[in-house]
Amino acid sequence: MRKLLSVVLAFSMFASLTACSGSTGSTGSATSAAATTAASGGAETEAAAESEAAEEGLYDVTEPISIVWWHALEDQYTDLVNEVVDGFNSSQDLITVEAQYIGAYADVNEALVAANAAGAGLPAVVVANTDYVASYGESGLFENLDPYIEATGYDVEDFSSGLLLSAQYSGKQVSLPFLHSTQVIYYNKGLADENGITIPTSIEDFDAFIEAGAKATGNYGLAVPGWDQWYFETLYLNEGVDIITDDNTCDLDSDTALGVTNMIKGWCDSGLAYLAYGTDASATMRQRFYDGEVFAVMHTSSLYNTYVDKCDFEVGMAWYPAASTGDMYSEVGGCVLGIPSKNDQATKNAAWVFLQYLCGKEVNMKWAEGTGYLPTRNSVLTTEEGEAFLEAKPAFQCIFDNLNLINPRIQNGAWSELATTWKNYMDTMINQGGDVASGSADMVEEINEILEDHA
Amino acid sequence: MSKTTTADAAAERAAGKAKGPFFTEKKKSQFIDFLFVLPALLLLAVFTYYPVAKLVHISLTDWNLLNTEWNFVGLKNWKWLFTGTGAKYLWNSLKVTFLYSMGELFATIVGGMIFALLFKRMTKGFGAMRAIVFIPKYVAMSSCAVVFLWILNTDHGVLNYLLGLAGLPAVDWLNQKSTALLSVLITTSWRVYGYGMMIYLSAMMGISQQYYEAASLDGASKTEQFFKITLPLLSPTTLFLLVTTFLSSMKVFQSVDIMTSGGPSRATEVFVYLIYRYAMVDFRMDRAATSAVMFFIILLTITVATMRVSNGSVNYDS
Amino acid sequence: MAEDQIVIAKKKKHSAGYHVQTIVAVIVTLIMLFPLYWMIATSLKCAEEVQRVIPTLIPESIHFENYFNVLTRANFIKYYWNTIVMTAGILVLQVGTGTLAAYGFACGKFKGRNVLFYIVLGALMVPLQVTFIPIYIMCANWGLTDTFLGLILPESVSAYYIFMLRNCFLSIDQSYLDAGRIDGLGRFGIIWYVLIPMSKATIFTVTLVTFSNGWNAYFWPKIIAKNEVRRVLTVGLAQLKNTFAGQAVSNYHEIMAGAVLAILPLVILFLVFQKYMMTGYSKAAMK
Repeated sequence: MRKLLSVVLAFSMFASLTACSGSTGSTGSATSAAATTAASGGAETEAAAESEAAEEGLYDVTEPISIVWWHALEDQYTDLVNEVVDGFNSSQDLITVEAQYIGAYADVNEALVAANAAGAGLPAVVVANTDYVASYGESGLFENLDPYIEATGYDVEDFSSGLLLSAQYSGKQVSLPFLHSTQVIYYNKGLADENGITIPTSIEDFDAFIEAGAKATGNYGLAVPGWDQWYFETLYLNEGVDIITDDNTCDLDSDTALGVTNMIKGWCDSGLAYLAYGTDASATMRQRFYDGEVFAVMHTSSLYNTYVDKCDFEVGMAWYPAASTGDMYSEVGGCVLGIPSKNDQATKNAAWVFLQYLCGKEVNMKWAEGTGYLPTRNSVLTTEEGEAFLEAKPAFQCIFDNLNLINPRIQNGAWSELATTWKNYMDTMINQGGDVASGSADMVEEINEILEDHA
Repeated sequence: MSKTTTADAAAERAAGKAKGPFFTEKKKSQFIDFLFVLPALLLLAVFTYYPVAKLVHISLTDWNLLNTEWNFVGLKNWKWLFTGTGAKYLWNSLKVTFLYSMGELFATIVGGMIFALLFKRMTKGFGAMRAIVFIPKYVAMSSCAVVFLWILNTDHGVLNYLLGLAGLPAVDWLNQKSTALLSVLITTSWRVYGYGMMIYLSAMMGISQQYYEAASLDGASKTEQFFKITLPLLSPTTLFLLVTTFLSSMKVFQSVDIMTSGGPSRATEVFVYLIYRYAMVDFRMDRAATSAVMFFIILLTITVATMRVSNGSVNYDS
Repeated sequence: MAEDQIVIAKKKKHSAGYHVQTIVAVIVTLIMLFPLYWMIATSLKCAEEVQRVIPTLIPESIHFENYFNVLTRANFIKYYWNTIVMTAGILVLQVGTGTLAAYGFACGKFKGRNVLFYIVLGALMVPLQVTFIPIYIMCANWGLTDTFLGLILPESVSAYYIFMLRNCFLSIDQSYLDAGRIDGLGRFGIIWYVLIPMSKATIFTVTLVTFSNGWNAYFWPKIIAKNEVRRVLTVGLAQLKNTFAGQAVSNYHEIMAGAVLAILPLVILFLVFQKYMMTGYSKAAMK
């Protein structure tokens, strides 16, 4: 026992000694110091850019350089990624791009925030899901691209204005639109025609639709993805829920919000629909749709080609039904491209050249044709090019009809943490037999705390 | 090199006798001896002890990895952990970790003992079977986790297929609160049965046959012999397994991370996963550090308690 | 030995219980073997066969290209290299610092030796799962994210190794050391020519455990090496499940190929050193 005591004593003495030396805050501030210099450096370049905007050469690439691009494009897109990157590398001599697949959007976020805090291992160009723009803009992780746009005279007017807006943070263009999609419902058109099922335009008719779908498959009528709140948050927004109100609190426990939650829970409790959440949720949901076990799924328009390829029946694509308020907005999905501000100027300049290429119309159309991502350019969307595109992909008519209904995401630095909490509670309330009222109250308490901590 | 070291050795021998006014010879020898442990001590100071102090420091700040600045907030995080919204997750993960530990202990000790009795025959065939049963211990946890993900898969898993053959409904093993932790435990136990078996078997080898012969003469049945001789004589082994398994199972992370990510509804959110989530998913270093300090205190308490029970006679690392 | 004789003696006439035990043992072994078999069998199937409603016990056709896909497209060749370098680095450092420290604590004479030894032992109570946040930040500040050094350094000392080896050194009779000194051996000479040869078995088993722990490490590599450049096998396998085509279809045939690749070296090592590896843990337990 005495031995043990001496161990504990020796240990605690050691700990308190180091605690004393550590509490000066010098170590902890190392990262913050680096960040401050980076931030002030950013301010300087910004100021410099303003005064010397006319002076050419500040954003020029003068020496050969290798840069890294982090993306979240899964294996199915590998060939296209290689084609695009090879195309860039062979188009000029100075810049060599290496594309690195990091994982899903959440994985990219984790890796990027960690690398930014470390100040090392940052990519030159990185994709970010549309809801991270605020967080990266607020923390200064993303470089403000306005000076670059001005200095190089890059034409951003051709981007569809909603998309351009969703890549901004408080008026600054911290990123540019890259690959965009929106929420849609895929349904088994073969079964729908066979059973005379029509796609409802209003949420009131949705129960009947799910029931008919379930009858047609003999299994599920609908699957609602729960692994990303993006798929169901639209249902709340259209009913008039703010999610984050003007006084920086969460209203997911309002009567309206509870109504939506109860509606989804009602679908799932009836056994005719389910909230896909947890291990393998995404892969399982898709496989069930391919196998004809689920009549309809709420998913992203970007996967249109994948669904069409994998299904041996005709796949239909429809807009989400209008809410009881009559609103039928959707939200922009997919990703923007940004340049981490802690990179050195030479890297940033090379990144800017590559970024212009990636966001350019030619590359964008490759994606639009080869996958389900949308054209981002007005010069495509509103011209005969758009008509040609629609001719090739008639299913996209429902999206083209509603282009002006695609809203930017809610932009808040605390969004990612909020979303994690929300998804978790949705699973608890809907899949695990939790109570909606008390669950929502607990959830809102937690979210309000998160919002307050971020303010 | 050998020349100088020979000189050292000579000096060392001399040091015993020479009580000269200079401390050099003896002190020098001591210092050289000290140099041997210095690298290890330095590395431990940097990578073990300093971080503990630093953790306490971070727990008093509001540091979010997304932000570039942080402030001291006093005991705010500790209040959050004990009386705020953090409390229920703290208790939840304590409960989950404890349940998991109990499961792994049960598999290692009870399962290991049953396996030891079943496979103890000393023939070639049984030797081969023992090896097969033991292999999983060397199968990387990640490989093990994905294999069981596949076996337990809802729609195409072989287990649900077998249940279907038996006329039972398919179970959503990993996405259902009631079965998620059990699924993780099934995976873990596959790896530990053989380990428990080997530890028990080698301890059984050490029990003298005379006990059993004497007991047989007294007319004790096999069952009686097991409970009266084998079990009591194996109690140090059981204690060893109990302590080491308990402490290592408290640190479980890999299987949970791969199989369930702590879900569903936090039903498998063990303590290390909780800390990991705060730190590397939410980037809330403040909350993560506070939880980590808490975890450290719990581990320390359990270690001290078990050392007291076992009187320090076992070492406590797997 | 005594056990052997008893079994032989019994061989003359086996009771019903004896046969029941054999049958039960065989069944249990088959069940224990199944996950490994299923891993290999699935890894040889094609995507379509994996998704069948009725699983096939034996693959209908053999698809080695799953392995090829995982090695090249999913970059497992790189992960192999990373894992090998990391494991080797950890092994060398732990054995190096550990052997020196064990000598210092067992045979050295200096003030505060016992207190320092308890400080080493105390480290057993502070796992990386507790301290990873400050270590991660330290490594990040030193630019060690996604580097071998970052993977290896925090694991460079094992208090367990020091403890085991010191005990072993202490159990060696003092007269051997004295003899060594008389022969003119210095400190390193004694470690190399006397202590290590006499502790071979312990060093071997402890090193095997270290190797296996290093090869199977997951927690720290996942945190410090997120990027593909230095990703290790265990983390790569988890990643394979999350994303490599996994979003489009279930790709369990490829995941299983990855799982087989990840365990192959250790299982081969096990088959070669079976005796040592089976008794290794129990030896540690008996100490």
